[in-house]
Amino acid sequence: MKRFFALFLTLVLAIGVLAACGPQNNQSSSNSNEGSSSEGDDANKPEKLVVWEDTDKGIALEPAIASFEEEYGIKVEFKELGMADKIREQIRLDGPAGTGPDVITLPHDQIGQAAVEGLISPIEVEQSVVDTFTESSIQAQNYEGKLYGLPKATETPVFVYNKELMDKAPETMDEVYDFSKEYTKDKNYGFLALWDNFYFANSVLAGYGGYVFERTDEGLDPQNLGLNNEGAVEGTQYIQKWYEEDLFPKGLIGENGGSTMDGLFNEGKAASVMTGPWSFQGYKDAGIDIGVAPMPKLPNGENFQTFIGVKGWHVSNFSENKEWATKLVEWISNAENAKIRYEKTGEIPPVKSLIEDPIIADNEAANAVAVQSSYGVPMPNIPEMAEVWEPAASALQLVATGKQEPKAALDEATKTIKSQIEQNHSN
Amino acid sequence: MEATERQTKHRKTALALSLIPGFGQFYNKQLLKGFMFLILTVSFAVAFADLINIGLWGIVTLGEKLPRDHSIFLLTQGIIAVLVILIGLLIYFLNLRDAYLNGRNRDLGIPLNSVREQYRNVTEQGFPYLMLTPGFFLLIFVVIFPILFVILLSFTNYDLYHSPPANLVDWIGIQNYIDIFKLDIWRNTFIDVFSWTIVWTFVATTGQIAIGIFLAVLMNQKDLKFKGIFRTIFILPWAVPAFVSILVFAGMFNETFGAINNDILAAFGIDAIPWLTEPFWTKVALILIQFWLGFPFIFAMVTGVLQSIPEELYEAATVDGANIWQKFRGITLPMVLFAIAPILITQYTFNFNNFNVIYLFNGGGPAVSGQTAGSTDILISWIYKLTFTSAQYGKAAAITMILSAIVIGVALWQFRRTKSFQEEDMM
Repeated sequence: MKRFFALFLTLVLAIGVLAACGPQNNQSSSNSNEGSSSEGDDANKPEKLVVWEDTDKGIALEPAIASFEEEYGIKVEFKELGMADKIREQIRLDGPAGTGPDVITLPHDQIGQAAVEGLISPIEVEQSVVDTFTESSIQAQNYEGKLYGLPKATETPVFVYNKELMDKAPETMDEVYDFSKEYTKDKNYGFLALWDNFYFANSVLAGYGGYVFERTDEGLDPQNLGLNNEGAVEGTQYIQKWYEEDLFPKGLIGENGGSTMDGLFNEGKAASVMTGPWSFQGYKDAGIDIGVAPMPKLPNGENFQTFIGVKGWHVSNFSENKEWATKLVEWISNAENAKIRYEKTGEIPPVKSLIEDPIIADNEAANAVAVQSSYGVPMPNIPEMAEVWEPAASALQLVATGKQEPKAALDEATKTIKSQIEQNHSN
Repeated sequence: MEATERQTKHRKTALALSLIPGFGQFYNKQLLKGFMFLILTVSFAVAFADLINIGLWGIVTLGEKLPRDHSIFLLTQGIIAVLVILIGLLIYFLNLRDAYLNGRNRDLGIPLNSVREQYRNVTEQGFPYLMLTPGFFLLIFVVIFPILFVILLSFTNYDLYHSPPANLVDWIGIQNYIDIFKLDIWRNTFIDVFSWTIVWTFVATTGQIAIGIFLAVLMNQKDLKFKGIFRTIFILPWAVPAFVSILVFAGMFNETFGAINNDILAAFGIDAIPWLTEPFWTKVALILIQFWLGFPFIFAMVTGVLQSIPEELYEAATVDGANIWQKFRGITLPMVLFAIAPILITQYTFNFNNFNVIYLFNGGGPAVSGQTAGSTDILISWIYKLTFTSAQYGKAAAITMILSAIVIGVALWQFRRTKSFQEEDMM
């Protein structure tokens, strides 16, 4: 009898467990509503908003936050995290857990991936707000036809020269070439650039008519690659010339090329380099009197189409106050706060009125970056771009080391990129 | 005795009653123990019901509805649920076993332990288990849990387009494993990377061991002066953090500016060698660097072993007319290998996964056309590239599994063959 009773109880227990399996459905519906329930009017004002800012840049955020708090009465907190990788990694974990931020900053080439993963949400702002920024910087913030954030700062490679070794910035690359031909000997170099790195090399390829992905009305088309078209090959041949004639040393090729180049410039062994604003401080610290100019014109008369990197403000998809978070994004990126940012950190906000402002126009370095930015194209922000870097760099390296001809190398790279895109991004 | 055994069936009754934990113990009149089992079971059920319910549902479905379900969190919850269930089953089994054993004792007419005796049993015989339990549980969640996670991940389609919170992850069986071998670009890369990994492991490790033993034997010569100084010098490469050494070497091997080409090889009249741009020479450089990084450890260990080889053996050999080489072959080498064989195996497995030196020296480069890996990428650094640039988490997990299977297989095979584990004592 007892035994039967025991068996019966076990059975009941087992059925009970199985029947209740999985989450209850009513619970889910309440969950999914949370996002939209906070359509903001003043009644729904959140107590505070959290911002994740890049490391060491919070100093430019503080005044903007203070004025926002005063205007709207919402407390804003910020935390500094490495923008290039930490923020994305952290929000993947903190977001779903409900402890994430409302507003984050990301380099724009991560926007596509972050949007696909559902980490950031599209924002809606007035056209008049959008119009305050340069066109290319807004383009950078668009993914699949939707605006995913507002630009915060922009950067692009420019021409940096040692004023003791070069009187003034040359107008054309032909001048640079002639200078280099004469100047380069005994481990001294006239001009150095990391053209085995696709980030820098693309500016040459694109200047001759190559492109990574074709830009259509709906955004970039990952199926249409322009890396091995006539212009790209011509550009790569131009790059090849610099390596072949030993104007660029072999030791500049590869993973550690950047530190090698900086080292040579710091020692005064390189008269000029192509690099971005991130290098300026290091050169100044090394005691070099640097001059900064937009890149000289290519031999075909075109400008270098450098990749523009745009850092932006984005609204976290996990935020429960997206409306207010968007307001905050608008506030901290407006002309007034952008100017404060420039003054405090030297980052250049792509705000039209600010670029014409004497505060930037009269600063040689900032002006050069701003002018070069107007020639450049935003780095593709679609996730497919991740498949481009390695094969493209490989092709350039093989050309630079003389192992492959430009056409063959680019064809091979395009093939690899295409098959990688097909495999990893077809769904 | 036999008569009582036939008459009573306490063990069966106790076992059957124990289906509800504790009742068998009540039947055996061990109230305290019975209550403990019962309370443990009830609290287990109450505390973990939710976790097990959601966990099991989650690990089977990996979520059904967005945005409520986060597949990866569900997967982790599922693994925890399974682990908890296993622990529960263990307790349940102990309960059954206890009831059965005590029932049998009653059948056999052996008096049962009193509460006091049970307590003593637990504290005295069970003491080691008691001490081990916390560590064991920690081990389950720190070591076993991640391993299970990777195993399961390799059977999912977790990549950029199937990553929470925007999308659900699905089970796809062994598709990842099939892809690695079926898709051209993957198969070619895999085979190339795999063969270099094997070569790298054997050459680099065997070399560092040979150098270590050779130097240790050399340093152990009785009439050598200044042993202390020499030993200190040979230990030094070990004292410098490996990543510092590797970065310094990367600079020294630079084709145009590095000390090796400019000073060392030039002094011998040898032309500059393309250390960083030619796959063959990069491989040579990597192996040389690993010799440098790896030998001090072997050197230190062998030096220790050499001290413990009895002098009589050599004296006897000398009397028998053995020469130095014979002494080394017949006495020193077997004794050393016997003592350090297990550690040598770990040296091989370490180099098989030696990410640091590959990644820091040249980032897996130089480039190879038509591949997703560089020419010096080993499996582990290739996996790193896959996960961090292409976001192919599922495939990376599958390759990790293959890699672990190889390492574990080789290690087991070697451990079993090693004399150290077979014989108690060599002498």
